[in-house]
Amino acid sequence: MLRVTLKGMRGHVVRFLLTALAVTLGVAFVAGSFVLRDSMNNTLEDLLSSSTKGVDLIARGTLAGDDTDTGRVPVDLAVADRLAKVDGVQRALPDVQGNAMIVGKDGLVVRNGGAPTFGFPYRANDPAFTMVEGTAPTGPGEVVVERSTLEKSGLAVGATTRAVVGGQARTVRITGEAEFGSSLFGATAILVDETTARAAFAPDGKVYSISVTAAPGVSVDTLRPRVAATLPNGVEVVTAQAVVDETRKQVQQIFGFFTTFLLVFAGISLFVGAFIIVNTFSIVLAQRTRELALLRAVGASRGQIRRMVLGESAIVGLVGSVLGILLGAVLAVGLKAVIKSFIGLDIAGGLPVGAQTVWVSVVVGMLVTITAALLPARRAARVAPVAAMRDDMVAPPASIRRRGIVGAVVFVLSTALLTSQVISKDVNWGLAGLGFALVVIGALIAAPLATRPVIRLVVWPFRRFTGVVGRLAGENALRVPRRTANTASALMIGLTLVAGLGVIASSVKTSISGLVAEQLTADFVLTAGGQSPVPSSVATSVQSIAGVKSVARLGFVPMQVGDEKGNAVASSAAALGDTVKLDVTQGSLATLDQGQVLVNATTAKARGWHVGSPLTATIGSLTGQKLVVGGVFQDSDFLDSSFLVGRDLYAKALRVAQQEDFLVLVKTLPGADVGAVRSQLTDVAKPFVVVSVEDGSEYVNSASSGIDQLLGLIYVLLALAIVIAVLGIINTLALSVVERTREIGLLRAVGLRRRQLAGMITIEAVATALFGAVLGAALGVGLGTAFQHAVRDNITQLTIPWVTIVVVLVASAVVGVVAAVLPTVRAVRLNILRAIATD
Amino acid sequence: MAENDPAEIGVVARAVNLSKVYGSGEAAVTALDDISVDLHRGRLTAIMGPSGSGKSTLMHCMAALDRPSSGRIEIDGVEIGTMKDRALTALRRDRLGFVFQSFNLVPTLTARENITLPVDIAGAKLDQAWFDTVIDTVGLRDRLQHRPSQLSGGQQQRVACARALVSRPAIVFADEPTGNLDSRSSAEILAFLRKSVDDFGQSIVMVTHDATAASYADRVLFLADGRFVDELSNPTAETVLERMKGFELVGRRG
Repeated sequence: MLRVTLKGMRGHVVRFLLTALAVTLGVAFVAGSFVLRDSMNNTLEDLLSSSTKGVDLIARGTLAGDDTDTGRVPVDLAVADRLAKVDGVQRALPDVQGNAMIVGKDGLVVRNGGAPTFGFPYRANDPAFTMVEGTAPTGPGEVVVERSTLEKSGLAVGATTRAVVGGQARTVRITGEAEFGSSLFGATAILVDETTARAAFAPDGKVYSISVTAAPGVSVDTLRPRVAATLPNGVEVVTAQAVVDETRKQVQQIFGFFTTFLLVFAGISLFVGAFIIVNTFSIVLAQRTRELALLRAVGASRGQIRRMVLGESAIVGLVGSVLGILLGAVLAVGLKAVIKSFIGLDIAGGLPVGAQTVWVSVVVGMLVTITAALLPARRAARVAPVAAMRDDMVAPPASIRRRGIVGAVVFVLSTALLTSQVISKDVNWGLAGLGFALVVIGALIAAPLATRPVIRLVVWPFRRFTGVVGRLAGENALRVPRRTANTASALMIGLTLVAGLGVIASSVKTSISGLVAEQLTADFVLTAGGQSPVPSSVATSVQSIAGVKSVARLGFVPMQVGDEKGNAVASSAAALGDTVKLDVTQGSLATLDQGQVLVNATTAKARGWHVGSPLTATIGSLTGQKLVVGGVFQDSDFLDSSFLVGRDLYAKALRVAQQEDFLVLVKTLPGADVGAVRSQLTDVAKPFVVVSVEDGSEYVNSASSGIDQLLGLIYVLLALAIVIAVLGIINTLALSVVERTREIGLLRAVGLRRRQLAGMITIEAVATALFGAVLGAALGVGLGTAFQHAVRDNITQLTIPWVTIVVVLVASAVVGVVAAVLPTVRAVRLNILRAIATD
Repeated sequence: MAENDPAEIGVVARAVNLSKVYGSGEAAVTALDDISVDLHRGRLTAIMGPSGSGKSTLMHCMAALDRPSSGRIEIDGVEIGTMKDRALTALRRDRLGFVFQSFNLVPTLTARENITLPVDIAGAKLDQAWFDTVIDTVGLRDRLQHRPSQLSGGQQQRVACARALVSRPAIVFADEPTGNLDSRSSAEILAFLRKSVDDFGQSIVMVTHDATAASYADRVLFLADGRFVDELSNPTAETVLERMKGFELVGRRG
């Protein structure tokens, strides 16, 4: 039987490869995700080891609250001097670092998407970097730039440019180029002299940690207790290794989310690929009915036939998986480029194809293929031996009733489940998620039921123009509804995602727009694109501009009261009142300036707080702060925070280096020349390059751009699912052309022109594609609406992006046209005589 | 029965010095060997011969389904040898009719749609009166909405015949039209073909190996080894069989 299997495959190599291709793409995604993850881990390890090179111990502040979110107590610079004197310590240097960027040759800030922009002090004996060329910076006007940052800037050593160091803009000369031991994951870095660094990044004399190097011959274990003994309260000492392990765990958690995200796409691709494999095997086996019947007539048992088919599928799965691993490595390269351009994360760690990647890919690929082939194998085994004697080679289409009922039931029940969850006030996301998934699966299973009405609808315009050609195309698509539905499933899933995410994204945008319009009373917003803070000197300069009434500086500070955790917004009372619409229902906003706290209505109600209630809070690095509730305000979607605090409390809770304005809101005096104020604001902001001055509507646009970026990334990934879709249609169509050879010969004999034949096959492909697209779009709009309804407190408005959906539907039709090219070429080349005489 | 007076009978199609060779050199097979024939208008002509005689090849060439290696073919006075595929396809659609032994119908269309297929493909208007006449003659009025899978073999062939006639072609080519049918259905089909010649003046060429089928024809042409070897007018089943026996003896002797 093995010989029969192998010979059979060798005879139809092309068909075999086309089937394998469906597995390949899905496996490529799996393999690519793993390769990417391993690559990221490699880069991380490099970074971790180079960042703590030459450092044995780290002295840092103890945690203020329960976890790292609330921050650590800052450490005095002076502690470093004390530690340097400890016996066995070779070197103890404070970790001075902060935000610093330079402007490149093109006049734009040198940065990679959302990656951080670091500034460090230049230290001659710092093992973290080596000088490539040039000299050390000697004053505030000189900088040394890291190699990849310098490359990106388009500048060279010796050039002059502008820089923003710790919020101060100045002109600097590049005196040297430095190489850090590893890739910085897309972050940029510049080095300034120690004095400038301390002034910019630790103006209050406090740092986050101090790095201690042991003298040669002194072990870490010996040194540690000695160092610990000299530390003041609130400062602890840990080994560099421990910090590395901590950091690795935190970063890998993020990587974990990312890898999961990719694996979800891999799962979708494999799911879709499985449909294609089922289809291909079904068609191929239908064509081989005579051959299978012959085997049965000659004595092969049902089990042997079934095993033969499954054996073929195993080989297809194996070949497809191996190809998939290779393609996955290529995919990883592509993904890296996409990630770099969208998020700025630069992953250098090579293309490691580990053992885990290989065996997971092979197992998954083979498992999916064999599972997909189970049903066709069973059908093949049921071929009666007498079919070998019959003349027709097309097996009668199996009943879709059973599948239709199962699918319809799943669909209806899951829709009910989902609806029940999204309309309730307290959504159970586990159940809702299950509902979302099952609705899609139910639709996929029940899709054959919808083929008749949808295909008829879609084909109708073609029939008007092409007459019987359109009719033939439509009827061909309906011949085996199960097959058409399976072929279209890839496109259906793709479109569900596109439409669903499109609904969510456009709803978010309208909601933000509505929110800002309603709640922002300021005239201008100064922002650094949400990726960096607005330098503090900007806010102070702005205050003195003529025509400006109020300037509100909004900062964040982590705050925890009992188990109520979050970020409090810090602002001065008057300025906030002028620039943001706040409905204070109890007490007064002015109490912020007196060190009291405002709480939003939901939290106040839940905790039973009111004006005058005492709170014990951990805020920033302050613990056990006794605070008083000065007022209660209606929940603000714009501020999106449970607590409001005043600037004094804010300044006490954080190190100066941590005090950053995320937004600066400006309100003009009534009657002021708004245009003039704006140009003055722009003048103040210009040296800082990243800071932009926006009015309400411009702010809405820039706030939404982050969503557009995320959508872009998702659409790129979806494009790959579309490729699978196209392959699926080509596959099915090509095989069905072969199946219909005699019929095509007859049509040509009776006078169908080649062009008409091409039209017939193309319309069939377009109808199939549109079938999947229409169902997918409908499903996506429905699910997107359900999601918006579930989070209607956050995404307040529902908008359906009809234009996007129409565009995508048209694109799906184009997909059909493209997919039809190869099968059409094959069909028109059929020799009529041979076609009619086909056995 | 019409007279076979050459002066009176028109020629609807002719082949002049037709040759068809497959392969080349040592492996060359001559299917048609410099054959010339005139097919008469308004007559039912049967072409008979043993397998390998070239009868199917002759029909395929004359029906614009295949190209000869050399020679000339005229359909309704027009030479088709220089026509490109587009023109040939239009010719088959508008001027010719086909009935094959099996697989005559498109399974996804109803009987009615199968019958009007060539007209629909041309985008032309159906001659409703003629359509009704054909349908009633062939007796399919109550089967028009059925799909081929719902029709018996005989009914399917009747649909195929109706289709061949509906566009009023110059000539209908039938390749073993009764090959897959039982004797009663065969008789029905042959009677219908005969009637369309007698009542409607249709020209039909039928390739067959069945003497009974050939007896319905006005003239039988016998082929062997790619050449015409004999001709029989006003045949009966007996005279056809006798003629065929003669060939077998010749074959055995030669």
